Amino acid sequence: MVFSSLPFLFAYLPLTLAIYFLAPLRLRNLVLLLVSLFFYGWGEPVYISIMILSTLIDYTHGMLVERFRSRDKLARWFVGQSVVFNLLLLGFFKYGTFLAENLYLLTGIQIPQSVELWPGMVIPLQNVPLPIGISFFTFQTMSYTIDVYRKDATVQRNLIKFGAYVTMFPQLIAGPIVKYKTVAEELNHRSHNTENFALGARRFCVGLAKKVLLANSIGALWDQQLTAQGAGELSAVGSWLGLMAYGFQIYFDFSGYSDMAIGLGRIFGFHFEENFNYPYLASSVADFWRRWHMSMTSWFREYLYIPLGGNRHGQAKTLRNILIVWFCTGFWHGASWNFLIWGMYFAAWLILEKYVLRGALDHLPAGLKHFYTLLVVLVGWGIFAIEDLSACGSYLALCFGRGALWNASDLYVLHNYMLTFLILAVSATAVGKKAWHRLPSRAQAVLTPLLMMASLLLSTAYLVDGSYNPFLYFRF
Amino acid sequence: MSKAYTRFITSLFCLFLGGLFVWHLLLPDRAQSETENRTLAQVPQLSWQTLKDGSFGQAVEKYFADQFPLRDDWTGLKARLEQLLGRECFHDVYLCGDTLISKVEEPDMDLVGKNLTYLQRLAEKTQAAVTLGFIPSAAEIWKEKLPTGAASYDQTHFLELAGELGLPMADLESALSAHKEEPIFYRTDHHWTTLGAFYGANAVLESLGMETLNQEDFTPEIVSENFNGTLYSTSGIHWLTPDTMEYWVEDTGLDITTYRTGTAEKGVLYDRSYLEKKDKYSSFLGGNQPLCVIKNTKITDGSKVLLIRDSYADAMAPFLTQRFSEVHLLDLRYYRASVAQYVQDNGIEDIVVLYSVQNFIADRNVVLLTQ
Repeated sequence: MVFSSLPFLFAYLPLTLAIYFLAPLRLRNLVLLLVSLFFYGWGEPVYISIMILSTLIDYTHGMLVERFRSRDKLARWFVGQSVVFNLLLLGFFKYGTFLAENLYLLTGIQIPQSVELWPGMVIPLQNVPLPIGISFFTFQTMSYTIDVYRKDATVQRNLIKFGAYVTMFPQLIAGPIVKYKTVAEELNHRSHNTENFALGARRFCVGLAKKVLLANSIGALWDQQLTAQGAGELSAVGSWLGLMAYGFQIYFDFSGYSDMAIGLGRIFGFHFEENFNYPYLASSVADFWRRWHMSMTSWFREYLYIPLGGNRHGQAKTLRNILIVWFCTGFWHGASWNFLIWGMYFAAWLILEKYVLRGALDHLPAGLKHFYTLLVVLVGWGIFAIEDLSACGSYLALCFGRGALWNASDLYVLHNYMLTFLILAVSATAVGKKAWHRLPSRAQAVLTPLLMMASLLLSTAYLVDGSYNPFLYFRF
Repeated sequence: MSKAYTRFITSLFCLFLGGLFVWHLLLPDRAQSETENRTLAQVPQLSWQTLKDGSFGQAVEKYFADQFPLRDDWTGLKARLEQLLGRECFHDVYLCGDTLISKVEEPDMDLVGKNLTYLQRLAEKTQAAVTLGFIPSAAEIWKEKLPTGAASYDQTHFLELAGELGLPMADLESALSAHKEEPIFYRTDHHWTTLGAFYGANAVLESLGMETLNQEDFTPEIVSENFNGTLYSTSGIHWLTPDTMEYWVEDTGLDITTYRTGTAEKGVLYDRSYLEKKDKYSSFLGGNQPLCVIKNTKITDGSKVLLIRDSYADAMAPFLTQRFSEVHLLDLRYYRASVAQYVQDNGIEDIVVLYSVQNFIADRNVVLLTQ
């Protein structure tokens, strides 16, 4: 189930809220666990088993690490076991097919499509459907065991509370990646009050509007431009319009989803960390990555870059560490070569900025820095969005003037989407937020319910119409 | 924020979600949507298989969208908002001032090529003369009305390909283009109007070497001024002036047999009960049917024409009855037996393949002609 769907908004959510808030306090974690399992099982009933398995393994490993804390070697062994288990899970379900295909291309060794363990029991080895959200929940559970070992978090002895953390439906399928230590305290004690509820509901409405009204409204244009490319009718102007459409779509799609997750968490009394901070206002590529999908970048920094030594062991090791982290970041986004290239592309820009461009960039006027960053990011989206490498290459070639400069259909696109682009551009900046904070509090109090209703009403209209409503980060 | 205020915001949110939930629950499900002219999704059946492969979840989503309270108002609200944003295309329908025009997608050229060879095969298989009558849609004839740069398949490209078959062809494109200032297509429906069908009929008669019809011989009867067609439904644009529908030909002397249920039954030239419904175009011959035979008792020369046709023929057939003893209409979507056999059994001299270009380039039933 996704948040931006009618069954979620007008059946699952009201029922869940009713059950949760009617339940006595001591049962609320259990309720949260059960409704979350239902939420997950809705699309993937079979994969509930993986979710439960993952929960149980990290629960026991957390306990084992705690139990053998005095014997460091053993404790480390258990941390390692948990990491290996999570990576194996991810490896099998997410990367299995990709690895098998490339193994075959490189060495000619063929991994069978499936094995029959005993008669009637066939286990598929390739083309296994991806369990939704696996990239998110494996990272979360991994960080738990590591944090327990590092004493950044205390061990959770209550299986229901731990289960509620792993499966918690607001962040289950698309993040933000909530580290255990962020919510550890609130799993035990959190306040349920109407202030949390009201703020959470408000945030949810903001996210819903971003996803349904902003992201969906421009996403269709990207698909249209891809079709035009296939028919050989895409111009340079058209291809940039397409990239801009995709850039806006993925930002409002993903940050909208994060807003909804943060809002829902708040309704249940949890405070998740922010995931986006106006990424398109960034003044450098490094700055962009401090503002985009912050829960993921901070995860990689905390559990990969710094353990590898970060930037404290000389230039060569720093370079190595940057490359490793961005290799993993790219690969985390999908089991396909374009994501690896995308990761390396950003590694290259980050290294360039760190060692070569640093001085030069500092002297550029703010507008130019911003323009440069957007250009790098947009081309990056081109690599990110088009999995087929040759199609991706020819798309980018169109951007840089391989075909016609512009054609008649660009006029049509501009005429149809000009206002939408304008609204999206303004929404991607902090202008709205600043204006909001400048309003007298009485005006805010009047506008809040009106804007919430507008978001709910218009989003419902779009969802009932049943048009274009994909969800980009669903596959990760 | 005061406690009272947060309570207010909380209840507002809960009331909206919970209210629509309860409303949807209590609202009886509809079988059909009049506005959209289609059957609506019903409560899906739950089984382990459908749950496991995810189709249950999708079915529930469709069910919610289709049976949602005030569905038509929501879709109308969305179309309004899109229009405010400057959109000109609504679910593949272009809004061109006061007119809706259906976008014609680029066809699968393999399918087009195959469909054309099937026509050739039919011509080789039968003694009757095969004439082609391809009707360009409004997106072609009224292409000046389309938004600047709007994409739509160039239907003259298809007409050129069809011309290469070497079969006689009625020039409907010129016939309609010559009158493009007149209301020859509905503004809210993809079909041609009775006026458009009249010009079309003359183009067909001309190519068959028959005497054409005179407009002065008809007195149009306005039967509806409240026709909201298929484009009204698919686009969600509900604020245009409805179309006017006319009947030109009178049904005196016409003896109509329909095979709607497989056996011969008495048919009608106009089924006026449809005028009370949304789908008013179906009043011509009573809508879709596999086979329909119209005999004009006043014409005794024994001339017979068979139309291999889509729904555009419904508006045109009344005109052809004025020149033929018998007009046979055969719809390949529903008629599954051999066409060549039918031609032989009924002693038909002329076959007219009468299709809108938009339907023909995407039709997967044309292969049935080769039986």
